[in-house]
Amino acid sequence: MTEINPEEITVTDFAVREHRSLWIDAWRRLISSRTARLGMFIVVLFVFSSTFAHYFLNYEPKKDLDYSLKLKPPTLVANEEVPSVHIFGTDKLGRDIFRRVVHGGWNSLRVGIVAVGISLFFGGLIGLFAGFYENIIMTRTERLILYGITGFVMGILTAWIAAQPFQPFLLAAVGIAAAYFNELYEGKAQRMLIFALLGAAVTAIPALLVSSTAALVCGIWGALTGALLSRPLDGRFFSNVIMRVMDIVLSFPGYLLAIAIVAFLGPGLEKGMIAIGVVGIPVYARLTRSAVLSVVQKEYILAAQSVGEGHGRIIFRHLTPNILSPIIVQTTMGLANAILSAAALGFLGLGAIPPEPEWGAMLGDSYRYLASGAWWAVLFPGLAIMLSVLGFNLLGDGLRDALDPKLRT
Amino acid sequence: MTPIIEIKHLKTRFFTTDGVVKAVNDVSYSMENGEILGVVGESGCGKSVHALSIMQLIPDPPGKITNGEIIFEGRDLLKLSEKEMRKVRGRDIAMIFQDPMTSLNPVYTVGYQIVEALRLHNDMTKAEARKRAGELLALVGIPGAEERLDDYPHQFSGGMRQRAMIAMGLSCEPKLLIADEPTTALDVTIQAQIVDLVKKLQAELGMAIMWITHDLGVVAEMADRINVMYAGAIIETGKIRNIYKKTKHPYTMGLLGSLPRLDDPPGSELTAVPGLPPDLLALPKGCAFAARCAYRTEKCLAEKPPLVEIDGRDHAVACWHWEAIEGKKTK
Repeated sequence: MTEINPEEITVTDFAVREHRSLWIDAWRRLISSRTARLGMFIVVLFVFSSTFAHYFLNYEPKKDLDYSLKLKPPTLVANEEVPSVHIFGTDKLGRDIFRRVVHGGWNSLRVGIVAVGISLFFGGLIGLFAGFYENIIMTRTERLILYGITGFVMGILTAWIAAQPFQPFLLAAVGIAAAYFNELYEGKAQRMLIFALLGAAVTAIPALLVSSTAALVCGIWGALTGALLSRPLDGRFFSNVIMRVMDIVLSFPGYLLAIAIVAFLGPGLEKGMIAIGVVGIPVYARLTRSAVLSVVQKEYILAAQSVGEGHGRIIFRHLTPNILSPIIVQTTMGLANAILSAAALGFLGLGAIPPEPEWGAMLGDSYRYLASGAWWAVLFPGLAIMLSVLGFNLLGDGLRDALDPKLRT
Repeated sequence: MTPIIEIKHLKTRFFTTDGVVKAVNDVSYSMENGEILGVVGESGCGKSVHALSIMQLIPDPPGKITNGEIIFEGRDLLKLSEKEMRKVRGRDIAMIFQDPMTSLNPVYTVGYQIVEALRLHNDMTKAEARKRAGELLALVGIPGAEERLDDYPHQFSGGMRQRAMIAMGLSCEPKLLIADEPTTALDVTIQAQIVDLVKKLQAELGMAIMWITHDLGVVAEMADRINVMYAGAIIETGKIRNIYKKTKHPYTMGLLGSLPRLDDPPGSELTAVPGLPPDLLALPKGCAFAARCAYRTEKCLAEKPPLVEIDGRDHAVACWHWEAIEGKKTK
């Protein structure tokens, strides 16, 4: 029997394993799915071709005009009748459809990113704060900020009525004063009376300079604001109010609201982006809030608090990374949605302004010629919309499966 | 010896739509430097809530500390602002939680989380903090500590996660460590390891430990003193020998009687405490335990017994009949 010398045994580093983060795992699951790969391919192709076309292929829509080539069908080789090659054919002004579809992609991409960016930024922040402060008590500073913001937001109405832009700041100051006062003074009825009078005074007296009616309306609103500020407001109040506002926005049909906003702002691609972005805010706010609610009760949030971490840190360092997966999925799907909405606005003549290449506007321009057999003028922009939306949706589906394996069927 | 923490008349309430839940009712006690205090009682008796009250981490709303003082190093914690309290948490008083599966953030590496806790209260560079984190993980007995710093919590087993949590709790060398059922979610062998580890660390670092558990066996091994809680109040408190050998309260007797003992004759049955704990929404007027107690009299139902000292700080009990009960055993 051989003696075993413990010093000769080489210790294999059994405890050392690959450090795999959840994100790397998710990426592996994503690329293992065929549909997700297809979606990713379409999205990459779309992003690359439109960015490349925008930066490297010059296109001036205003000068692109050639009546001699009006409504020519797709050709793959040049002939006597059509001297240049148009693989997607030409439209009613003799413009090459392929070129316009590729350049139109840039507009769709822009709309998608800006609109979703607006929705995500505002909706996400609203959802994060609403969900967090619904469960975690505010600190004194945070409460002061809440009172100030409440005063400011209420003041926007009086400022608008009396056309005095300084009024929100006055009411914000009243709010902060109320927050201090509420801590010191117990008497509820007196508190309410004092601040109703104060609110009415700071709004009505400046408004007197405009007209007595304005002063009356502002005074009533100011008194209401003061009464509200005299009450103990907390995170739950904030969450309730803001989520009900989100519910109200969500109760409008999306397109209708977007059209209304564009009608208010005036047509143009940029205005369209804002409209689509604003309409999307409640979706992200609700999604984020629900995700926060499911995470904020977890013990690691309590543990983070018990180590002495501050609220801002907990929200952005501990909560946010844990709720990212549903938001990433929604963002990807939201891009598809925004592209579709932009096309719809363009089709109605509310989005991009004509010679600008935009898929929806191209459809709107050409559908009248469908009856005369010009199918290509409608088919290719339509296909572009369909494919880009399909790509983002497939990718979104794949991401959902990859990021949350529990949901997989 | 001066007490490190002194709790006086602490009351915590939860204001729910069903009514006011009286979770902690007039709890007073003190802990000395380097003492291990076991807090025992069945589920829902206010053990965890009173610990969270000390940290001021009661979910508010609906919870609220309605009365009392928590004197820690001469300051009343309840009078501190949130900002000052934040400095106390983690640096002076640290807490470890019941479920190691969810008390580490799944998206960060274990090392990152310990480094964060370290850097929050100490003026340290990242490299220093990382080195210290490695030492801490080694201290709590994780093999290959340096290497495991870059692991994610899901790559740790339950016992290792609880060790990592302990390392995080100890990171700033707190004067008081509150352990809220730290071994409940672990199996028995790991439980024993964690208990040994904490005892060893306590001997080395000398902090006071409050060990909350429903397992009388676990605290018997390590605690200096025990608080027995029932319906949000302390019903018996004292040195560990007094609690186990000179039990005075019928509820404590019931708890001890429900434990299996090595010297029990084979085949003998364990006795259970009959009935359920009272509804904290509507506590009875008299003794909260009266409804389940074999020794109750009219007086028990009518009047709440105060916590009376039998042997100074070494033993106190809240029962009208402790003298009569003394010597009797439930089995």
